[in-house]
Amino acid sequence: MLKKYKKVIPEPKVAPAPVAPATKVDRTIIGDQIFIEGIIRGKEDLLIEGSVKGSIEMKANHLTVGSKGQVNAEVNAANVTIGGKLVGNVNATGRVEITKAADFNGEIKAKSISVEDGAYLKAVIELEREPMKKFAHPEKQAEKTEEKPASVPAKESSMPAGMDNKRI
Amino acid sequence: MAASAADLGRKDLPTGPGYEAYTSNALKLFAEHLERNSQGNLLDIGPVCQENIQFFAHRVKKHHVCDMFIRLDARLRKGEPVRQIWQELDYPIESFHGILVWELADRLNDEDVHELVRVCHSILMPGGMAVIMVMGDQISSTETRSFVIGQDYRVQLRPQPHLNLPLRGRQNRDVLSMMSPFVPAKSFICRPGFMEFLFQRV
Repeated sequence: MLKKYKKVIPEPKVAPAPVAPATKVDRTIIGDQIFIEGIIRGKEDLLIEGSVKGSIEMKANHLTVGSKGQVNAEVNAANVTIGGKLVGNVNATGRVEITKAADFNGEIKAKSISVEDGAYLKAVIELEREPMKKFAHPEKQAEKTEEKPASVPAKESSMPAGMDNKRI
Repeated sequence: MAASAADLGRKDLPTGPGYEAYTSNALKLFAEHLERNSQGNLLDIGPVCQENIQFFAHRVKKHHVCDMFIRLDARLRKGEPVRQIWQELDYPIESFHGILVWELADRLNDEDVHELVRVCHSILMPGGMAVIMVMGDQISSTETRSFVIGQDYRVQLRPQPHLNLPLRGRQNRDVLSMMSPFVPAKSFICRPGFMEFLFQRV
């Protein structure tokens, strides 16, 4: 067995390929010591940990306001994650995510939204309306129960899939 | 039997006394009222709740969210006067078709309840409705909870551990008295032991 090992020709050492984070995540970071006033337009994702005042236009990309970020801006983006302070209106063609660390004041127009309990919000939320699915018409249900002043539990039913408290 | 969180398959929702899921008749009627107007404006001043935002997104044009519980908590922690939080509800008069007050009145003293009612009356449209809940004296826990609305108006309570608010435990007559500027539309005693009220501004 030992002889067999001696015959093995060691492979030449190859330096490991350098990790190129830029190819993995094309994202620009505005650091916490940076203050920008004006218009930001871009075609790659952006993480703001600094201060930005003005407007942010990145209709095909993801904007993240990090925990140290302070943004006072009109935002147009594909998706937006708010984990810091944002004052202004957000227009997202996709999803807006608001974490419990967020402090948001403004209007949100989006296709969908997720909000964590504990987020500090003063918001107007306008979601893209899907056609009314099979909402049990409340009028009919109310008729059934109106005669009874106390709440009567309905038949056992499972919560909708969207009942996860973090995401829809 | 009211379904528990376990029955509903929710691992993140608590079980036990005071946390039984129930069907909210007040919310049914409230949603019915909102759905009459396709351009409806709703104000929710309860704890921020993902599911409720989703629930009402299809029923109103604009859903205004202003969590007064977290603002109240912040004031109390700093020892600052509560009365200043009402400045946050600086909406134009007669703006809303409906206001979800939840059990905020149960967390305030009489003076602040009076101010809450005055502000709500001012920003609610004539004909608009407000949902109020009080815990009464049958709830053992003073824990602040959000009312998570599910399918078929099934409501589950979810603890809000980041909120530490006093609970006054108001009674039926207290609510009717404090809401005297409004007309009582309906009231319901719910299985977990608290009361739901629907008031209308005339």
